[in-house]
Amino acid sequence: MTGPSGVGIGWRPEIAGFVAELPGLRFVEVVAEAVPVTGPLPPGLAELRGRGVTVVPHGVRLSLGGAEPVDPARVAHLARVAELLDAPLVSEHIAFVRAGGLEAGHLLPLPRTREAVAAVVANVRRTQEQLPVPLALEPIAALFDWPEDELDEADFLREILDATGATLLLDVANVHANARNRGGDPVALLDRLPLDRVSYVHVAGGAERGGFYHDTHTDPVPPEVLDLVGALCARHRPPALLLERDGHYPPAPALRAELDALAAASGFPVVT
Amino acid sequence: MSGPDTGHREEAAADLAGRRAEPGGDLAGGRGAPDGDLAARQTALVAALVAGAPLPAGFAPAPVEAARVALLGKRAGEVARHWPLLAAALGDAWWNTFREWADGRRTNGSLRDGWDLARALRERGALPPLGAEELATREAAGRYDGRHPPRPRRLPAAARAGGAVAIQFAGRVRLLRPARR
Repeated sequence: MTGPSGVGIGWRPEIAGFVAELPGLRFVEVVAEAVPVTGPLPPGLAELRGRGVTVVPHGVRLSLGGAEPVDPARVAHLARVAELLDAPLVSEHIAFVRAGGLEAGHLLPLPRTREAVAAVVANVRRTQEQLPVPLALEPIAALFDWPEDELDEADFLREILDATGATLLLDVANVHANARNRGGDPVALLDRLPLDRVSYVHVAGGAERGGFYHDTHTDPVPPEVLDLVGALCARHRPPALLLERDGHYPPAPALRAELDALAAASGFPVVT
Repeated sequence: MSGPDTGHREEAAADLAGRRAEPGGDLAGGRGAPDGDLAARQTALVAALVAGAPLPAGFAPAPVEAARVALLGKRAGEVARHWPLLAAALGDAWWNTFREWADGRRTNGSLRDGWDLARALRERGALPPLGAEELATREAAGRYDGRHPPRPRRLPAAARAGGAVAIQFAGRVRLLRPARR
């Protein structure tokens, strides 16, 4: 039940064999909705827990930023997964994924307004009341902004974190994507974020397509994102960094090289 | 992001939202940018992204369109995981075929989306042999009326698609005859 530390990787069934053979691994993340709460843990995850590897449940469908109250059944599932994995914390997104019953199929950005801050804060508090462990919140990558924005990204996040006591799950690939697609200086944003409140960091790959940078999680981590990892660690190194890969899995040597690059950029020990 | 299916309650709610999302509907209409109605604004945005509703007022069209296409691409990938033979049989044409069919059509989940697409392709004689075999196998195993989630068949059954014949007995499915090639 130790907190995330060092270089980790998002555990997915497709790469369970690869993950199981990483000798120095201390930390993985699992998509919370993919973990059944009846029956045994997925093979591989149980084995990692047996080795003392920290497993953090990462929710993707709570819709904490939805105007409607968060679904208690989804919160209960997340809480149960945290218990089953003896997790030190769980994480979710500052985003909404459905509205009026219609599913978007992905994380959507919120308007940076006081009304949206209030909606997120209310849902985060409802969630925290039911969770056995702390919650870390992740700002997402988006291609577009809302016309009614009142706050900038740093103020928007700070208001949410201050009102809820949640920690930050900072995704540097999202920082890169947002700067590239919506404008702004990514390093200047790092300077305005409460880096001492980061529980861990996400790093993922993406690709340029149609004039936009897409945070695909199915492409290699670009050098610009690794540079941001370096800039972040030079300011305040987070306790842990996690590589997210969600498909189009490369051969094991390529994936090991990405983990090694993360270790090199952050100064953490290699896990491969 | 491939969470488990979320069941009937959301489906019923989605019906409601689907009606609201009709072009010209109150919530999805392109007029006005009301303050203080986050729920309506979110509903209008999601409807524009996944249900063919017009772009809500004030948004920059090009970035939202890029997000809309990215969502379709993600959905295509998820359907391909549920219907690997159908997607593989279409190969390079998979993305365009899926996009043409799915654009403006809200999802019923990856299993049903792929099932509906395979049936649509069969109707216009465009279902490739591997896809026909996958469809026949699915139809022998499950009962699907196109409106409700598929259910496993309890009685022995046979199903055909594109010359392929699949049979199911005691829950086990076998492809009896391959599709015409």
